[in-house]
Formats: sequence, structure tokens, C-alpha cells
Amino acid sequence: MSAAEILSYSIHFAAAALSLGLLLTVLRILRGPALPDRLLGLDMLVAIAIGFIAVIAIKSGFNLYIDIAIALSLVGFLATVAFARFILARGLSPETEKGRETMPKPRHGKPARRKHKGAR
Amino acid sequence: MAGDIDMIMAIAVSLLLVAGSVFTVLAALGLLRFPDLYTRMHAASKAGTVGSGLLLLAAGIHAGETAILLRALAGFAFFVLTAPVSAHLLAKAAHQAGYKLTNLSVTDQLPQSKQKSVVI
Amino acid sequence: MTFLFVNLLLTLTWAAVSGSFTVHNLLLGFAAGALSLWLVREQFSAARRRIRPVKLLLLAALFFKELALSAIKVAVMVLRPDMRLRPGIFAFPLSLTRDFEITLLANLITLTPGTLSVDVSDDRKTLYVHALDCHDPAAEKRAISLGFERRIREAFPL
Repeated sequence: MSAAEILSYSIHFAAAALSLGLLLTVLRILRGPALPDRLLGLDMLVAIAIGFIAVIAIKSGFNLYIDIAIALSLVGFLATVAFARFILARGLSPETEKGRETMPKPRHGKPARRKHKGAR
Repeated sequence: MAGDIDMIMAIAVSLLLVAGSVFTVLAALGLLRFPDLYTRMHAASKAGTVGSGLLLLAAGIHAGETAILLRALAGFAFFVLTAPVSAHLLAKAAHQAGYKLTNLSVTDQLPQSKQKSVVI
Repeated sequence: MTFLFVNLLLTLTWAAVSGSFTVHNLLLGFAAGALSLWLVREQFSAARRRIRPVKLLLLAALFFKELALSAIKVAVMVLRPDMRLRPGIFAFPLSLTRDFEITLLANLITLTPGTLSVDVSDDRKTLYVHALDCHDPAAEKRAISLGFERRIREAFPL
């Protein structure tokens, strides 16, 4: 097997695996169950996209793609930080009501707090 | 001789590609399989970071230029530095907002009462 | 003095990353390095410290070893059918005092097998760590304090 063949096989393998990874992550984002889970999925999506860009850089030979990947990682990091601040500021999201059934501990107190937040 | 070096380069790049994509897809699978946000974060912040980092490294080695390899290394370092920060911030925000650990959890020594003081 | 040294280091990095060592590019790198150092001047002068380069390299080597191990461990765990999870958050008593040391330790913990730092108490005495396998917190605590904490203290003596 020649060098180019090995490389081409592994590029195809990597592209297929990353596509599967993207699919699994999107499934997690769809399932939720709450905002932080989706945010984590988004973070993972950015990481996989960076990997994908690296694979494309190898496949096409355009080294400029590496700079794009670095810029994307910067933007992804800032987005995650901003979203985390948002979660910190907002508190529990209403969509966790369903998930709360299995863990009934914080039934009292919390809803009142949220109402207060909403009134602001 | 040049062919040998080409072959070694191709094999190294292929190994990095396969390892990186396998780590990434396993991180995505972990995102789907783990029971709660905090355990999912383990998968995303470790396997995900290593996966994308290896893919970037593969792109840098494949380019065959010192400047581009250094750039890829800088991207890898940046990724390794920022991934724990965003994971830490997200975990902290989620815990303070009141998202619970999974029922499988054995201990939670982080006091929850602190969240009352967090009104931003 | 250290300021100039770091600036020169940044200049060299700039030249290496942009791939040209012409005089103009070096000057541009020097200017960019000076600007970025000026932006962080307060943290920089506050963080004046002694560093042991060899110990720092040892710390970096340990870190990359642990990073590889942790990625493999998580990957294996994901593939296991029953996963055998016993997650939990334990409190780790810090013996490091300075902010940058705690930050470094928290980052290192996050990228090591099975642990993820969640929060630091307001008095900076306790680090809260989430572990995938938390049935024996004492062992985890011992591993951290004998591993990373000791290495950090060696690399940055007071």
C-alpha cells in the first residue's frame, strides 16, 4: 500500500467517525433534557467541527484551514463562557420540571424564586 | 529515501487521524450515554479535547512546515487550556442554578445553600 | 527585566508562528508582545515569582501523561455496557494558597482521569471536585495532594 492510499483511507475513516459523532451530539442536543445539557452538546459540536476542519485541511492541502480551526475554538470558548454566565444568572429553567419528578427534593422554595426572577 | 520519509509521515498522520476521530466519536457517545450533566462533562472535556487536539496535530504534521506545525501546536495548547475552564464554569453554573446530580451519585459535599446569595 | 525577557520570548514565538524572521516582522512581533504585556501588566507584576524550569517540565510531562490516560479511561468507560458509575462531589482541602496555583491545580484536575473541578469555596481553602468513581474520596484526595499539588509546590516555590 502506498503512502497516499493509507492517508486516503484514514481520512475517510476520520470523516465518517466525525460525522457519526456530530449525529450523536445532535441527538443529545435534541434530547436535552435541560439547557446545560444542550450547551454541553453545543460545546462538543464546536470541538467536532474543529476536528472536521483539521481533516478537511489534510484532505484539501489548504493549510489556512488550521487558522480557521483556531479561530473557531476561540469563538466556541467565548460562547460557552457567555452561556454559562447566562445559566448562572437565570437559575433553573422551566423545562426541568419534568425531570424533577424523579428527584423530588427541591420542590419547595425554588418555584417561588423563579417567579420572582420572571417578574423582574 | 524520500519515499521512506513520506511513508513514515503518512503513517504518523493516519494514526493521529484515526486516534483523534475515535476519541471524538467516543466523547460524543459518552455525551449520549452518561446519566447526568456532570458525568457527561467528563466525556466532553477529556476525550473531546484530546480528540480535536490530535486531529489538529495531524493537520500540522501533514503540512510539513515548521510554522504551520507550531500554529497547530499553539491551537492544541489553547484548546487544552480553555476546555477545563469552560467545563469548570458550566459545572459551577449548573450546580449553583440547582441542577441535580444523578440518582447514582454517592456524595455531594458542595453546599447548595450558597445559591441563594447568587442574584445577578 | 523579566518583562523584557517575556517580551523577547513572545517576539520569537510570533516570528515562528508567522513563519518569517525578517526585521520588520520581528519588530511587529515585539510591538504586539509589548502591547499584550501592557494589557496584563497588573496581573503580571503581581505574579512575580520564582520558577524552577526543570520541575515545571516534569509537571508538564506528568500532565500530558495523565491527559492521555484520562482520555483512554473515559473512552473505555463509555464503551462498557454497564458503566459502573458511582459519581459524586467531594471537598478537597487545598494547601496551595496563591490564586494562580489554585487555578492551575483546578485545570490539571479537570483533565485527569475521572475528576472534574466544580467550584472553589470563597475563602479559597476548599476545592470541590466531581469524580466519576467517588466510592473512596480519601484515596482521590491523597492522589491529588501527593501528585499535582506537590509538583506545583515544587515548580513554584514561595
